[in-house]
Amino acid sequence: MKHIFQFFILFFLAMTSCQKEKITIAQKVSETFYIENRGASMRILVDGNTSSKVFIVFVHGGPGVGAFVYNSDYLSNNIEDKYAIVYWDERNSGASQGNSNGMFLTLEQMTDDLRKVIQVIKFRYGQNSEVFIMGHSFGGLLTSSFMTTGNNQEMVQGWIFADGSQNYPLNDSLTRQMLLSVGQQQLALNNNRVKWQEIVSYCNAHTGNFSFDESNQMMKYAEDAETYIYEVTKVNSWELFWNNAIKFNWPLTSMLMNYLYSSEASLNNDLAKIEFSSSLYKVTLPVLILFGQYDFVCPKGLGYDLYNRVSSTDKKIIISPISGHNIMFQDEVLFCREVNEFIALHR
Amino acid sequence: MENRKNIKRPLIGSLFLFLSLNGFAQTDSLISKVKISSNLLISYNSSLIYPGIRLGIEIPVYSVSLTKNTNAGRKKLIIKDHFISVNSRWYHHPGFHDNLYFTAEWTMRRSYKVRIFNDYSFGTGYSRTFLGGTTYHADKNGTVNIIKSAGYNYALIIAGAGFGFDFSKKRGIPLSVFSKFDVLTMFPYNSTIYFRPILELGLIYKPGNFLQILTKRRVKKK
Repeated sequence: MKHIFQFFILFFLAMTSCQKEKITIAQKVSETFYIENRGASMRILVDGNTSSKVFIVFVHGGPGVGAFVYNSDYLSNNIEDKYAIVYWDERNSGASQGNSNGMFLTLEQMTDDLRKVIQVIKFRYGQNSEVFIMGHSFGGLLTSSFMTTGNNQEMVQGWIFADGSQNYPLNDSLTRQMLLSVGQQQLALNNNRVKWQEIVSYCNAHTGNFSFDESNQMMKYAEDAETYIYEVTKVNSWELFWNNAIKFNWPLTSMLMNYLYSSEASLNNDLAKIEFSSSLYKVTLPVLILFGQYDFVCPKGLGYDLYNRVSSTDKKIIISPISGHNIMFQDEVLFCREVNEFIALHR
Repeated sequence: MENRKNIKRPLIGSLFLFLSLNGFAQTDSLISKVKISSNLLISYNSSLIYPGIRLGIEIPVYSVSLTKNTNAGRKKLIIKDHFISVNSRWYHHPGFHDNLYFTAEWTMRRSYKVRIFNDYSFGTGYSRTFLGGTTYHADKNGTVNIIKSAGYNYALIIAGAGFGFDFSKKRGIPLSVFSKFDVLTMFPYNSTIYFRPILELGLIYKPGNFLQILTKRRVKKK
């Protein structure tokens, strides 16, 4: 009995040894840690050059998608060699863990989480660390909330907005307009006639003041629509999966269950009415806006809205002619070049 | 009246015939209580590439030896054992978590003369995870602290099916090897469930007199 007890003590110590703090300042770092905040322990993977003291916090889409999927080889070789990227799994996403915490899945709470992520980055790597935030898709809404709340802007050096949304009602109207106009062009060219006809008919029948279901249906059409355009670079999801699932120890069932939960959570109903366009004037930091020409999910009109509304004097908008909703995969060269230039200019 | 009597006779006759035939078809059954040793179990308890281990004890509850006459006139012996197994299990998923969990499972094992067995199990238990990295907490003032032994407690259910090979039947070695597929389900995990497929490869050791339990044994002939 004594031996069994000793065995369990040793076993317990062995397991907690993985939690020993390890901070690496080097050019090629990959380290994982967690941030606990209000019922959720959120995974953070810091990949890249931590000796640069520059950290790009990647705020993923969804809600619920997780940050694992953004960690591509191209980003590793073309951004992480210069700076460190912080892949943060938001609450109820990716490898983030907890018990009954669904009641805390709100935009306000996630904004607070982002603030804590930056605090911990500075605690680990030094208060002189420079942080840039990058929001993609839903991450655009979350970073908009962060940038327009309190004195959060003081914590970061710049804001990168990639195929994001700062205004969901405007997003719905722009998506409908784009589906309708591109759809009519494609029908005139006789491309994917059956599919475009269905989309155009739907948009003609639903003209505005969209319900939650209408909004969801348009998002589904928007996701499909870019795959019908020949100019758009196709994202090979399977290749991304095979290259990274084992290499980065993806917890697949956690990612799946978190995604299913978050995508059905009541948070989505609340988000449908949220807009930050009216408070973007508060933003004075440098802003880089990147959009895909064929992004139907978050059309480039959102980028122009952001560009026109922020008070920043240093702002730039770039539209990729070969990209849809995932510019970081569909136009990797342009994406990495612009991000690197922006950071080099503002660090 | 005469007609009624005529109907009653074949009815009573049929009932008698049914009961007597049924009586002949009944199995011979002998129930006894014997002391059976418990089994010790160890297995590699992985999710494909992520390692883990299971240590357990199988406590016998009930055993049925069934001898069947096959159509070819041969006798076929099937042993159905029921166990309660108590296990401690662990797996390591780098960067995600370590999971130490304890289960109590009901195991049904069916062994054949050819030394092959299959088993099914279902159980419940408790899980304690340890997050796969240093865990920080930042308060309102921006003070950051490290949380020691950060992780979560979960309830769990586990179900599995597998097969094995018993070396004790012919070679007299008190060992069996087995392979099993389990599905572990933990809850509440982020207000939903977490499930994990687990593949086991292991050994069952049958010591002669370890934790002997008075077990109900039934010998049946069909």
